[in-house]
Amino acid sequence: MIEFRSVSASYDAETPVLHEVSFTIEDGDFVAFVGTNGAGKSTTMRLMNGLLEPTAGEVLLDGTPTTQLRTSQLAARVGFLFQNPDRQICCNTVRDELLFGFKAQGRADAQAEAKVDAIIERFGFDADAEPFLLNRGTRQLLALASIIVMETPVVVLDEPTTGLDFRECAKVMDVIAEMHAQGTTVVMVCHDMEVVGDYAKRVVAMTAGRVVADGLTFQVLRDPAALHAAHLLPPQVSQISMMLVERNAELADTAIAQANTVEAMLDAMQEQEEAVSHG
Amino acid sequence: MAKFLEYVPGDSFLHRMNPVAKVLCALLISIACFCTGNLIFLVAVLILDFVMAARCGMARQAAGLAKAVAIFSILLALIALLGTPRGPVLVTLPWGYIGIGSIVAAITVIMRLVACAIPLFLVMYVTQMNDLANSFCKIVHVLYKYAFTFTSAVHFIPVFMNDMSGIMEAQTARGVAFDGGMVKRIRLMVPLCVPLLISSVRKTNSAAIAAEVRGFNLRTCQSGYKDYPFTGLDVRAIVACVLLVAVAIVVNVLVPPLF
Ligand SMILES: Nc1ncnc2c1ncn2[C@@H]1O[C@H](COP(=O)(O)OP(=O)(O)OP(=O)(O)O)[C@@H](O)[C@H]1O
Ligand SMILES: [Mg+2]
Repeated sequence: MIEFRSVSASYDAETPVLHEVSFTIEDGDFVAFVGTNGAGKSTTMRLMNGLLEPTAGEVLLDGTPTTQLRTSQLAARVGFLFQNPDRQICCNTVRDELLFGFKAQGRADAQAEAKVDAIIERFGFDADAEPFLLNRGTRQLLALASIIVMETPVVVLDEPTTGLDFRECAKVMDVIAEMHAQGTTVVMVCHDMEVVGDYAKRVVAMTAGRVVADGLTFQVLRDPAALHAAHLLPPQVSQISMMLVERNAELADTAIAQANTVEAMLDAMQEQEEAVSHG
Repeated sequence: MAKFLEYVPGDSFLHRMNPVAKVLCALLISIACFCTGNLIFLVAVLILDFVMAARCGMARQAAGLAKAVAIFSILLALIALLGTPRGPVLVTLPWGYIGIGSIVAAITVIMRLVACAIPLFLVMYVTQMNDLANSFCKIVHVLYKYAFTFTSAVHFIPVFMNDMSGIMEAQTARGVAFDGGMVKRIRLMVPLCVPLLISSVRKTNSAAIAAEVRGFNLRTCQSGYKDYPFTGLDVRAIVACVLLVAVAIVVNVLVPPLF
């Protein structure tokens, strides 16, 4: 569990970047942080593994303040994907890169090697390739894979899909969804509302260093005040569901008013049709 | 917060001086420092440095610089300490001795480097890189290509420092503990030079291409709108610095060394 208690933060004494941010992320949750450029999303992420210390308030990881632990110690519990994969990649081969985390934490044993081999197989990497010569999408995927392979209970992902084409984006998100299905807590920053609508269970919207909305994905993506405050354009499915409810108030209590994804919308409409034909 | 070697806006006399005059004065002050080994003179120059820095609100940066340069020059000071047997003997060494004169020599090395480095770095804080490149181009007729190369090199220093700290953060987040002894720290940092180098080459390459497609080669010394005339202030400053060099030479000739 990650708990923010009135956390303020800044990079230098003069300009505060976060103002009294509070929220709790339960184990096994899938939370997306959304908001404008410079809203403080990356800053919030950095607070979660102690890369940054709050100037006021507390960040608790399973009840322990992050200030009591070093980031290198937290690494065993929180996997962190940076916005820029090139900051993270530092080894000469894909295989070494995937093993790096284990080596850093002193856990590079046969078990670790087996995990690395499995993930190379699964992502279809070339184990001996030079990471810096891979294309942008594959570098991003490699950075993500080197976080996943550590199997930390929490992963924090700063814009895992930015700059990827649709196919690569779907590949990355499917891996993340699978991790979540297996019980990993996922915290993700994302600018793509379609991705947020499709995958996240909960959305926290930020503007200018403050949380302006925090709730289930379908609630936040339909909350006009939150959308306006965080300058968000909801996914098209949410827009359609909003319009449908606007035209026909009776739908407000049905699944149509809660659908974020195309599948959910289809199911909801079918259900509604059946209800109408029976009723 | 002001970054390392990054322009700090202001309206002090140093800000208002001509960029070429600033560089010339800084060089003259450095030359003066090397013209004499008189400790009192060097301390006076150091005080002058700090007065100038304080006048343009940069005392904090100057103090930081002084500290950095002093640490940097410790090695040289050590060589001076061990290799200048002078004055009353304090410790005998297999090849000579350390005397009071040796200590003075070591302090002089540090003082000299700090006193001559501060003005040179101060120039960066009070001059916009564009002005520096353009004025050298217009007044000294340095080819813009070279002026630009210099200014972008300086400009990239904070960028690289930022990159390096970002890369170190990324490795910390994966469990690398960057603390403990110096040797261990350096061993951990060596592999990080790869991503730093790669990101630098990528950045430099794309910056060069971006400059090229924007017509960089068409640029001549006459391309700038702004003129950089010398004013009375510049002339007075240069004359003062020339006098400083003269004083340094005179001191060196007339005042005998302490030991
Ligand atoms: N290392 C740093 N030093 C100083 N200020 C910083 C630093 N990193 C970020 N900031 C500032 O903090 C504020 C919040 O930045 P942050 O990176 O958290 O935003 P963000 O929500 O992640 O934006 P984006 O969507 O562009 O990634 C910005 O105003 C930014 O300029
Ligand atoms: Mg960010």
